[in-house]
Amino acid sequence: MSVLEARQVTKEFREGREAVPVLHGVSLSVEPGEIVALEGPSGSGKTTLLSILGCILTPTSGRVTLAGEEVDPRRPDRLPALRRRAIGFVFQQFNLFPALDATENVEYALNLKGFAGRAAKREAERLIEAVGLAERKNFLPRDLSGGQKQRIAIARALAGDPPVLLADEPTANLDSAVGAQVLEMFRDAAKSGNRALLIVTHDPKVRMIVDRVLSIRDGRILENA
Amino acid sequence: MVNLAWKNLLYDKLRFAITVIGVAFAVTLVFLQVGLFMGLLDNASVTIRHLKADLWVTSKNTPNIDFAHTFPETYVQRVRSVPGVERADNLIVWFMTLVLPSGSQEGTLMYALEDFTRWGLPWNVESGNLGDLKRGRYFFLDRSAEKRFGKFSVGEYREIAHRRMKIIGSSREALSFSTTPILFMNYRQAQETNPAELAGNTTYILIQLAPGADPEAVKREIRRRLPYNDVYTKDEWAFQSRNYWIESTGLGLNLGMTVLLGCLVGVLIVAQTLYTSTMEHLKEFGTVKAIGGGNWHIYGILGQQATIAAIVGYLVGAAQTWALSPLLAKISLRLILPPGFAATVFVGTIALCLGAAMISFKKVASIDPALVFRT
Repeated sequence: MSVLEARQVTKEFREGREAVPVLHGVSLSVEPGEIVALEGPSGSGKTTLLSILGCILTPTSGRVTLAGEEVDPRRPDRLPALRRRAIGFVFQQFNLFPALDATENVEYALNLKGFAGRAAKREAERLIEAVGLAERKNFLPRDLSGGQKQRIAIARALAGDPPVLLADEPTANLDSAVGAQVLEMFRDAAKSGNRALLIVTHDPKVRMIVDRVLSIRDGRILENA
Repeated sequence: MVNLAWKNLLYDKLRFAITVIGVAFAVTLVFLQVGLFMGLLDNASVTIRHLKADLWVTSKNTPNIDFAHTFPETYVQRVRSVPGVERADNLIVWFMTLVLPSGSQEGTLMYALEDFTRWGLPWNVESGNLGDLKRGRYFFLDRSAEKRFGKFSVGEYREIAHRRMKIIGSSREALSFSTTPILFMNYRQAQETNPAELAGNTTYILIQLAPGADPEAVKREIRRRLPYNDVYTKDEWAFQSRNYWIESTGLGLNLGMTVLLGCLVGVLIVAQTLYTSTMEHLKEFGTVKAIGGGNWHIYGILGQQATIAAIVGYLVGAAQTWALSPLLAKISLRLILPPGFAATVFVGTIALCLGAAMISFKKVASIDPALVFRT
């Protein structure tokens, strides 16, 4: 049973009086423990699709189901709670909070998800240790390398043990060796945690860890590669 | 819990310092303006406050204690027979001309009573015996007169209304709103120095009420017996004396404008720095939303930052004012800041800073969380 599913999803943006369609009836599903790559050129609609799957945007039409719950586009006020419960994000630019150290970045996400006090602190430290950065747990992001930042971002995405991980170009700002390490970490997070992982990417190396590749062009899923 | 608001403030120390300076500037400005104003205004009623009189009888429409008009001194007999009046005495407050040793003439405000000690005037005697005032051509002079009259010593003579009179004592803290120096003289002596206007006349009747007497009932009865005079309680008379200067000089409007300006500057600085900070942290706030935070989480962060800036700015502003206070005292400027006013400024500072943060709230509400995917 899929943990992330989209059925006939369309999305239009308005530019003045004109409606600009970005997605045309996209359907896909990801099973627990499955790793799927979403590839496509710039402007193909992959970020829009990722935003819809991540409950950041609502579709113009179609259905999205996440961890057994159907997303109701008429209730955008419920989306933050769904994001907290079901999704872990990893961004191309890491998007760590510069004023918080490595542990605090993870702890803050845990706080948002309802963990508090010592329990949150201990869990944050455990996750930092799990991504191999125990000795840098008190470093600010500015004092960490790109690869280390991305590992912190993965630890943050794993906070609260979400069933779905969504990653946007996670290796784009990393060199090959570090990129490979980060991908291994993603694979481990998906397989050992039985999480669905969708990676939006241009990076061909990502294919080494994925179970499936979806290609998107002009707002349509073209093929299963 | 990780406090992102506090961490962000400490991370960007320069911006935090600018915000705090802005708030502190506004708080200091408000404290100094209002404190000096209240200090100045206090001079207008400081003698009323210290005199042990529960009620004051004045001539009709006397605007304030300094600008007194005369009425027959025998009216005091009518007052003394009013039920509830324990004691009533005449008080003369009158402008006189004093000749300095240099020959120059200066105005002075004379307070004249039969028994100064009974009425608690002057309340801060520096030297001399008030009981000696009735023994001849003597007077007490307040030390604040040195600013206008130059240094003086007890035992020296000055000419008042063409009479050579001896300074037999001095006081402190007796001030007038117009900065005219105050001297204290025996009641009869005062009438002799200006018989044309003061013989057989007084300018005020001071009243002490009997224990348990109803001030309003006594006032009503005095008004009935002295229909061409006014009667005030101590607080009413003090208020009127202060209010005269606020209304007649435009000081109130001036003060209001300055306070408004101070608040405006503070609000603008806080609003501007918070807004700039919000714009620079837009992606972070987008991230907060993406990882499950709602608008209220971000409002909370901004609100907390505004409150912290307000509290720290207030403390810095209050400390600055406190540090300036002795310097101001050296140039005879008194700063009066009642605790209630300080508390009002504290609450006002927080309210204004939160108001300034509202501009950022609007921006945050419109953040597209999808911006977290943009490079």
